[in-house]
Amino acid sequence: MDIGVDTGGTFTDLICRRPGHSDLVLKVPSTPSEPSKAVMNGVRQLLEAAGDEVGSVRRFVHGTTVATNAVLERKGADSGLITTAGFADVLEIGRQMRSHIYELELEPETPVFLAPGARRVEVIERLSSEGEILEPLDENSLRHAVETLKNEGVTSIAVCLLFSFLNPIHERRVREVIESEYPDLSVSLSSDVDPAFREYERTVVTAFDAYTKPVLRDYLGDLATELSAFGVDAPLQVMQSRGGISAAGTATKRPVRLFLSGPAAGVIGGSRAGQASGSHDLITVDIGGTSCDIALVAGGRPLVRPEGRIDGYPVRVPMVDVNAIGSGGGSIAWLDEAGGLRVGPRSAGADPGPACYGRGGQLATVTDASIVLGVLNPDYFAGGSVSLDRQLAEQAIRDTIAVPLSLSVEQAALGIHRVVNAQMAEGMRQVSIRQGHDPRDFALVPLGGAGPVHGIPLAEELSIDTVIVPRHPGVLSAEGLLVAPIEHEVSVGFPCDLDSAEINALQKVFDDLDSQCSALMNAEPKDAENIEIIHAADICYVGQSHYLDITVDLADPSVLDSIYSDFIRAHEQVFGYSTESPARIVNLRSIHRSRGREADVPITIDPISGDPLKERRSVIFDTDSSIEIDILDRVCLPVGAVINGPAIIEQADTTTVLHESWTAMALESGELLLKKE
Amino acid sequence: MNRMVDMTTTDPITLEVVRNKVDGIANEMQSTLLRSSFSTVVKEGLDASASLFTPDGETLAQAIAIPIHLATLIPIVETITRTFPPDEMKPGDLYIMNDPYLGGTHLPDIAIVMPVFFNEKVIAFSAAMTHHQDVGGMSPGSVPPNATEIYQEGIRIPPLKLREGNEFNHTLVEMLKLNVRVPQVFMGDIGAQISACTVGARRVSELADRYGYGQTLQIFNELLDRSELLTRKALEAIPDGTYSYVDYLDNDGVNLDESVRIQVAVTLRGSELHCDFEGTDPQTRGPFNAVQSGSQAAAYYAVRAVTDSSIPTNGGCFRPVSLHLPEGTLVNPVEPAPVNSRTATLKRIAGSIVGALKGALPDKIPADSAGELLVLSLGGKNLSGKPYVVGEFNAGGSGGGPRKDGVDVIETDGSNCMNMPVEALELEAPARVHRMSLRRDSGGVGEYRGGLGCVREIEFLTDNIALTHRGERHRHAARGSRNGGDGAKAFSKIVRQDGSEEVVHSKLFTVVHSGERLIVETAGGGGYGNPHERDRQSVQEDVRNRKVSEESAKKDYGLSI
Repeated sequence: MDIGVDTGGTFTDLICRRPGHSDLVLKVPSTPSEPSKAVMNGVRQLLEAAGDEVGSVRRFVHGTTVATNAVLERKGADSGLITTAGFADVLEIGRQMRSHIYELELEPETPVFLAPGARRVEVIERLSSEGEILEPLDENSLRHAVETLKNEGVTSIAVCLLFSFLNPIHERRVREVIESEYPDLSVSLSSDVDPAFREYERTVVTAFDAYTKPVLRDYLGDLATELSAFGVDAPLQVMQSRGGISAAGTATKRPVRLFLSGPAAGVIGGSRAGQASGSHDLITVDIGGTSCDIALVAGGRPLVRPEGRIDGYPVRVPMVDVNAIGSGGGSIAWLDEAGGLRVGPRSAGADPGPACYGRGGQLATVTDASIVLGVLNPDYFAGGSVSLDRQLAEQAIRDTIAVPLSLSVEQAALGIHRVVNAQMAEGMRQVSIRQGHDPRDFALVPLGGAGPVHGIPLAEELSIDTVIVPRHPGVLSAEGLLVAPIEHEVSVGFPCDLDSAEINALQKVFDDLDSQCSALMNAEPKDAENIEIIHAADICYVGQSHYLDITVDLADPSVLDSIYSDFIRAHEQVFGYSTESPARIVNLRSIHRSRGREADVPITIDPISGDPLKERRSVIFDTDSSIEIDILDRVCLPVGAVINGPAIIEQADTTTVLHESWTAMALESGELLLKKE
Repeated sequence: MNRMVDMTTTDPITLEVVRNKVDGIANEMQSTLLRSSFSTVVKEGLDASASLFTPDGETLAQAIAIPIHLATLIPIVETITRTFPPDEMKPGDLYIMNDPYLGGTHLPDIAIVMPVFFNEKVIAFSAAMTHHQDVGGMSPGSVPPNATEIYQEGIRIPPLKLREGNEFNHTLVEMLKLNVRVPQVFMGDIGAQISACTVGARRVSELADRYGYGQTLQIFNELLDRSELLTRKALEAIPDGTYSYVDYLDNDGVNLDESVRIQVAVTLRGSELHCDFEGTDPQTRGPFNAVQSGSQAAAYYAVRAVTDSSIPTNGGCFRPVSLHLPEGTLVNPVEPAPVNSRTATLKRIAGSIVGALKGALPDKIPADSAGELLVLSLGGKNLSGKPYVVGEFNAGGSGGGPRKDGVDVIETDGSNCMNMPVEALELEAPARVHRMSLRRDSGGVGEYRGGLGCVREIEFLTDNIALTHRGERHRHAARGSRNGGDGAKAFSKIVRQDGSEEVVHSKLFTVVHSGERLIVETAGGGGYGNPHERDRQSVQEDVRNRKVSEESAKKDYGLSI
């Protein structure tokens, strides 16, 4: 059997897939102080439910928040930084742009906590902008620097020297010296982590690497030990931010590639669901408690961007392009001083949570509105594991919104939904337009427990006519883990005008990148076969600072011309224009990918039994008068069943709201396909 | 135009839904504008902004990346609607202008305005402003530091029809193309502006289709009324009175020994805020003059900064604000005074208005920020003989505040530009950077220390490099607040081949040669509160982290070590 485990902030989601059986899914509460506890607890329960031997676990894939949480909670290693003489402060100076333009008292924009001044030291050395040695590395200055850091209590060192992306010789010598003379120190080199130009961005990602590496090494090491002690023979694999999985050992060496481990798995799961329904261009929207995550899938592959952010700081490693906006189920509705109804960005979070949770929350949230509208069944939330209080939801909306605005509670609840939907739809439109896509050409895949509640209104706002509800939208990240490819990516800075580039030089660099990828692939389980090799280059116009990822086909005799014409086409698509100006290469990249395992384990849907009609319930849609509609049980819907809206389709992990003039069809693959008439 | 506003007619839900939409439309216009522009100054410097206006010419929604763009389109829309009455506008019409003396900002900023129709009546305007890479004039880039009249700065465009009922004004287009240095880029950027306006117009008409003419206008007006109400409430919370402030520009780039005075008296009465610039120096000979629209934008920025940032930004926020800009002064020059370098002036105006409000809100307003954006530009031929021009920006520190230290090397007030990576500079220009570090002891001392400036040391690798240095705060420090100390002044010098040193008097155009070095130290922010009351641990941390020297810790902070 294959097991996928995705650790989230509140729940740890598990899925188990076996030939001939339908998927088993499970949600257990996360244990943030010791995340492996929830993982092991879930695995035990899952095996019990499956009635299988532990020895039958063939694959074990994990999505983890450990690296992310170490940053958000400032619980990383005591890390230090070594730089070229004259540049110790680059990490603290940053790029000088501020993110809140109307604030008078500003917050620092740079992650100084990774290495405050006392933990930043300089070594004498200098390379030129061509990568030639102008001043050799002064090893006395190095030893002095390392001693200083040791005295400051540093256990993990980031090294970022100027122009090391062109020539790593000095950085590698620094590592040699530290490893031989101070073997207990962990070292991260910028020429390994992110060999690309712009010293601030390279320094930040290298410092994050040093900060998180010891934490991740401990966590993944312990988890692997526990799993193996428990009898799981399958090697531990981990989801990386760009949407491919990798052996835990490799992941440990590149911790900055795990910051979006969970969200990337969700997008992969969404793209699998879309493809199973025949759609390859998708917008996935994962509606959680405090935010919703929006991502685009074009031509069946999630869009990957070369740089993302964590906690507001730039992290220059490739990651699935997930954009968070501050609207979610827990977003609080409030009135401004002019009596305007606003929703978010403040959220009730998980504690106290929406008023209907009965944990002392007094403020009205989007989830409370869903209860009042009759959309959510208070007795069947999260499969009945949590019982919600309709009275409390009504009271919160009445007291904080309806009465001050002289509206009925229903009108107020409807209003909260309309406002939050408008916000999310504008966010989704922005994400697609920035990438040069028209949202109307996409199908919508709503994820998360609340996703399918808002799916159709969002589609209507964006003139989208297809909505695909995956089988298990609430545990889709876990499912994504099972279908993701094994993937390794290695890149290097290669500044060169396209006009003067030589194919042989390119070939040489790609050969080197390929052998690095192969070494990483060799560390994977032996079933990593049918490896697809992709070569790519980051290209921009001369003088531009942002670049585009262009595929390179070395077998093409006129490869340089093809790169240029593909670049122009991509530029047109993404930026809306192109010119015939000269272009240049910034980075070269090799990606080795072993196809996903979906084909190996055919998905089985258990034959259904029972009447899908659970009950009839009064629900409020567009006006404040309610109508009585069918409430259906998703697991009882036979393949091919067609339902006409309005109706509500319930399942343990979500509720799908089918509006009037929409139909739902239960597909063989397990998805629900919602279509506008 | 008549406005019938009845606050009770639109339900608050529809209002908020439409507000989200109009903000979304402005953002979509902005994305389109940035995405489809040709010139690097837009794509890299984000120097462009998109807005929607009501038929009355008030801002309905605006997307900006740079604060001094806030509301700068208002006087342009005003001029255009005065010249071409909206009743006579036809679908397909498109208007263009840039003249600073008729409502523009400086010549590179060209505005395109498109009327949006519903049943042949104007229901809104969709507008986009872009800083064009070149609009002609005496120097490439059209921001000549030595201009003494506007005619040297580029082509002046009065309010004109660029298109009439979808038919381009070819006479005008040909005239423009002949007066700029790179017509393809120029027309490409105009095209991007038109696409942004078109996107905005399309989505606003969809909105109007849904709500109808009357209700749509009603909603627009109510949105403005709401922001006005929220702004007035925030202003009412500020104690009444008149608060004055004086600050200076180092010089105008022509008369290097003469500082230029900016004086403002901010009067708060109830919910009204008035800025009177009486006492400000006469207009300058060099190009630092700020025309009305810019001074107004700086004032609006200051108002947004002192009120609640959750208030939706639209024209309603600006209704309670009035200005007196004496004619013939730095803040309201008379033509043909040159205006291209007005950014430094706008930054100082915004800082001065906020500074004046220290008198009213001592617990809210931080000490002065450096408010310095040092502009360096290098030009010549690189080692392989190719011509290049590289510009870079360096900031100073922000002021210490009532709750927090200032931030080191950060953009403040009117502008928001990134610095240039050392590796990018060295790849593009024949220069080598020897140092980019925090400038120790440059933050004004205080209970909350001012942010530090930076030190950048650049060695030049070829002969005959044209170097422009446009600094500020070389002669006048960012002031501390409530017994906090002033930030360090900026300081720059050139070390020549023979070892001699030349101090740069804030603005300089010179030629440098191989082996010569430029060392710049940007200014620190002012400190807030008595330094002796600074948390002792923070003082020690500052010493450990090299932000404050031991001497200063002892002398200024009274630390006993």
